[in-house]
Amino acid sequence: MPDSIPPSGRRDPGPAGAGTLADPAAPAGVASPPPGGDGARPASRAGRGGWARAAAGLAAAAAVCAVPFYAEAFWLQAGLFAMAAAIGAIGLNLLTGVAGQLSMGHAFFLAVGAYTYVWLAAEPERAAGHTLHGLGWPPPLAAAVAVAAAGIAGGLFSPIAGRLRGASLGIATLALVFLGQHVLFRAEAVTGGVNGRAVPPMEILGLRLADSPEPPVVLGVPFGGLEMLWFPGAALLALAAWFARGVVYGRPGRALTTIRDHEIAAGAMGVPVARYRAGVFVVSSVYAGLAGVLLALVFQRAVPEYFGLALALDYLAMIVIGGLGSVGGAAAGAVFVSLLPQLLTRYGDAIPFVAQPGEEGLSPSEAARVLYGAAFVAVLLYLPRGLRGLLPRCAAPASRARAVRAGDAGDPPR
Amino acid sequence: MTALAELLVNGLASGAVYALVALGFVIVHRSTEVINFAHPSLLLAGGYLVAVLHDDIGFWPALGAGVAGAAALGALVEFVVLRRLRSGSHGTLSIVTIGVDIVLTVEIARRIGAEVLPLGDPWGDRVVQVGGVTIAQARIAALGVAVAAITVFLLAFKYTSWGVAMRAAAEDRATAALMGVRLGRVSAGAWAVAGALAALAALFLCVFPTPGLDRATSFAALKALPAAVIGGVDSTTGALAGGLLIGVTEALAVGYQDEAALLRGGFADIAPYLLMIVVLLIRPTGLFGTRELARA
Amino acid sequence: MRTVRIGIAAAVVACLAAGCSGKATGGGGESGGVKTGPGVTKDTITVSALTDLTGPYAALGKGVTQAQKLYFDQLNAAGGVCGRKVELLVRDHGYDVQKAVAAYSEIAPRSAALPQVIGSPITNALRSRLESDKLLTIPQAWAHTLLGSRYIQLTGTTYDIDMVNAVAFLVKEKGLKAGDRIGHIHLEGDYGQSALAGSRFAAEKSGLKLVEQQVKATDADMTAQAAAFRKAGVKAILVSVSPKQAASLAGVTAAMGLKVPFAASNSAFAQQLLATPVAPVLEREYYVMTAATPFSADVPGVKKLAGDYQKAFPGQPLDSSVFSGYTTAAIVGEALKKACAAKDLTREGIVTAHRSAKAFDIGLGGAPQDYSQWTRPASRAGYIVKPDKAALGGTRVHQEPAESDLAKSYNPPAG
Repeated sequence: MPDSIPPSGRRDPGPAGAGTLADPAAPAGVASPPPGGDGARPASRAGRGGWARAAAGLAAAAAVCAVPFYAEAFWLQAGLFAMAAAIGAIGLNLLTGVAGQLSMGHAFFLAVGAYTYVWLAAEPERAAGHTLHGLGWPPPLAAAVAVAAAGIAGGLFSPIAGRLRGASLGIATLALVFLGQHVLFRAEAVTGGVNGRAVPPMEILGLRLADSPEPPVVLGVPFGGLEMLWFPGAALLALAAWFARGVVYGRPGRALTTIRDHEIAAGAMGVPVARYRAGVFVVSSVYAGLAGVLLALVFQRAVPEYFGLALALDYLAMIVIGGLGSVGGAAAGAVFVSLLPQLLTRYGDAIPFVAQPGEEGLSPSEAARVLYGAAFVAVLLYLPRGLRGLLPRCAAPASRARAVRAGDAGDPPR
Repeated sequence: MTALAELLVNGLASGAVYALVALGFVIVHRSTEVINFAHPSLLLAGGYLVAVLHDDIGFWPALGAGVAGAAALGALVEFVVLRRLRSGSHGTLSIVTIGVDIVLTVEIARRIGAEVLPLGDPWGDRVVQVGGVTIAQARIAALGVAVAAITVFLLAFKYTSWGVAMRAAAEDRATAALMGVRLGRVSAGAWAVAGALAALAALFLCVFPTPGLDRATSFAALKALPAAVIGGVDSTTGALAGGLLIGVTEALAVGYQDEAALLRGGFADIAPYLLMIVVLLIRPTGLFGTRELARA
Repeated sequence: MRTVRIGIAAAVVACLAAGCSGKATGGGGESGGVKTGPGVTKDTITVSALTDLTGPYAALGKGVTQAQKLYFDQLNAAGGVCGRKVELLVRDHGYDVQKAVAAYSEIAPRSAALPQVIGSPITNALRSRLESDKLLTIPQAWAHTLLGSRYIQLTGTTYDIDMVNAVAFLVKEKGLKAGDRIGHIHLEGDYGQSALAGSRFAAEKSGLKLVEQQVKATDADMTAQAAAFRKAGVKAILVSVSPKQAASLAGVTAAMGLKVPFAASNSAFAQQLLATPVAPVLEREYYVMTAATPFSADVPGVKKLAGDYQKAFPGQPLDSSVFSGYTTAAIVGEALKKACAAKDLTREGIVTAHRSAKAFDIGLGGAPQDYSQWTRPASRAGYIVKPDKAALGGTRVHQEPAESDLAKSYNPPAG
């Protein structure tokens, strides 16, 4: 493989050539490379950049591993919420950002993951006057099946998704959130109804990842549930991001972007449109399921109320703010949206426009919502590539994919 | 039998109110091809204005102010946010309206706080008895006003130059622009009309038998979203049909919840969405929507 | 592959190096002969409130929080506890369980007690953590399913007791007799279920036939439920829904010509309803079962509280949330004082001090409360109040607190 390819070199005769369709604004004569420019990455990996990359990755991994030894519970919990949100957001971004299928129903698939895990892993119990079912499976198996179940749910919905485009699809997925929540509220024996139910802690090789009266002490630091969950959480996020990059920058990503930008052309070029559309729905649901399981574990309780419209909009906000179509952007957006309210609550007294409890004015949680709503609008107006677009161009290969055109699939061909 | 008649009349009355809201979705979609997710916040804004003003200036002027205020807010959103994005795709524009809705709803909900604000309407809790069927006067007013408003709108849509311009723009924006249609005015006008209809709907959502406006009132607008989709989001007739269909479905689901276990526990709330999914499966463009061609 | 291996190795090294972290375990200690625990320093005792200032119970949250601030301000002005100031840390969760759980993680390590937690679902979600953290917690929720924990103190009567008393009241004063039908409209979830447990018990004991109607928190129009009650021919209606839903129900039943008495849970009325068109209906035949002394009652302590509150928060509504906030803060305040006297300000010490109160009474009216056991409600006697526009706080006493014979024979199943 050559170290570099000429800028105009189109080595891939496949659907990637449709990059031009995705980028009508590109200067004439210069074909915009497909997302992730097939040639760029191997080149840097083999060259000197590879070592820099490895060193940076190493430092990052070390930093992530050190966090539980220093950070207090508040930060660990906030970080774990952000990790779960990032996994979910990356999945949604594959669906909405890359493949252009507007989904407002991500919360539903999170709920499927969370509740399937709870149901499979929990022992039957009596709580608040009624019996709760549970199968008492080993937690890791329950988690794996829960993630798969979310994927299956996505697969079952994809025939409907396949018939709809753009905003109509958004509304149909919105319906999924309302229907799903209704079922969760009614299925008291499994979900605990309005009160929700406790989430059984994860157990890996006999080690319970939960708070205990006598916490194991690692290097002088007592390890509670949050400390222990931190490591699998970070590993899952890394795995999720790595896989998503593979999808985005690989053949499926190019096919999906082409479908997003011009479905008929994609079909004409031999992309199996229906299969890809269904496939990305399943993959995105699997991500949501994983996020749901992790969230439930951090939360220690699953409540149907939580998996509603507000959560679905949160996820949409994450990928819009982070930058549609980019894996790193989705993660950044997830961190922003999930940390903002908590930071404003904790440090609100230092911020002038945030009112303290009992005072008139914007409360921290309202301020957080206004800020993220405004960020949502501002990003679309002024920063079409999201937070990701703020990074230098070389660091953001996905930005060339003109992420902003994501919601486009609903347009009639013009 | 009287029970059924009562349910049907009440269902039609609330359906007419849903139709007002659904019409707002349709008008905006026809002129700009955007699904206006900020519609609930326009509705809340209109209702809020009526609620705070009626004590000082009387109900009818307050209603006028509410309708005008919501219309102005709609036009403002179009002017400040959407116009800047004219070049963006319709998908992006629809997503932007979600952000607008979040900001507006939080602010209005904060102002409403935990209060239940009465709108000071003249109908109060009076009811009419017709052959054993009890109907609230406010419901009859809702039916009448909604039908009148929709008729006026449809006539304007058909005969005024604004209506013609709007239909032209919906048909083919580029050609319409070339023919001298000012697209900016058309779409700002559409947003304003949608806002006005939403304010009117807010009034009838908050009068008897509901005690008043509160922060949850905007959820009703979300119920009208399936109404618009069921009818076909580019069809004004469809909005009317969808609204009535949803109103009646909801009333029946509530009315017969004691007879069927399935209908209990808030089934009425999700019935519109269930109906919508079924319709979308059979006709992806809704009952009256234009079928899109050229799908691979 | 090699980079991966190096990465893992480096991560392990980093983790080992982190061992020198100073992340300390929650400290206990002793100062001035008093044992102290988390939330207690040399000069402050921190107590925390998980409240709702932006969600559906914002009105309740605001009143409770302001009243608690008032109490602790007064306590501090009088010298505090154990030479320490008591500081109230407030976190708003907007009735969102996730936010509440997150907020709890933040404040729990630095709190000595929780004088306010709004919401049954939230208290339930935190229950096991509250118990393992040994935090004295006073929820602003009255479902009997919250009973049964040494660390969670419900104040006054529970929803089921209220409904038992309500049925007894309807039979005694409104002439209901065996064989009559009685309606009960209730929310889904703890509140409604708890109330329903009481009404089912009382209806069976009194030979009444209960007509149940369950509604969701988001329902606004009660026409269908009213129609069902009319069809069933109920002689009275028990109400365990939100104030707004109660107003809709009262309006619709009146419009339908169904003139029956209502007996409501304390959470099914708010002063704000007296500004709506249904006010006359409510003033006519609406009775609220509550353990909170109404501000119009002739009790000196309550009159003083009304004056102090209006001075501190002019123009703010004076309702049962204020009473509830002030008394719950006082429960924690008294527990702290006792714990100080016993020279044990650890969390366990505070709970032990609190649980020693067998007949708690701070001069704010109502029946004395027994906090020494936690599997039964602290009291079985509540006021019956009637909405009244002219009365301070919007309600006046219809019947002084009394324990009905029916309530005496009722034992709520602990959750």
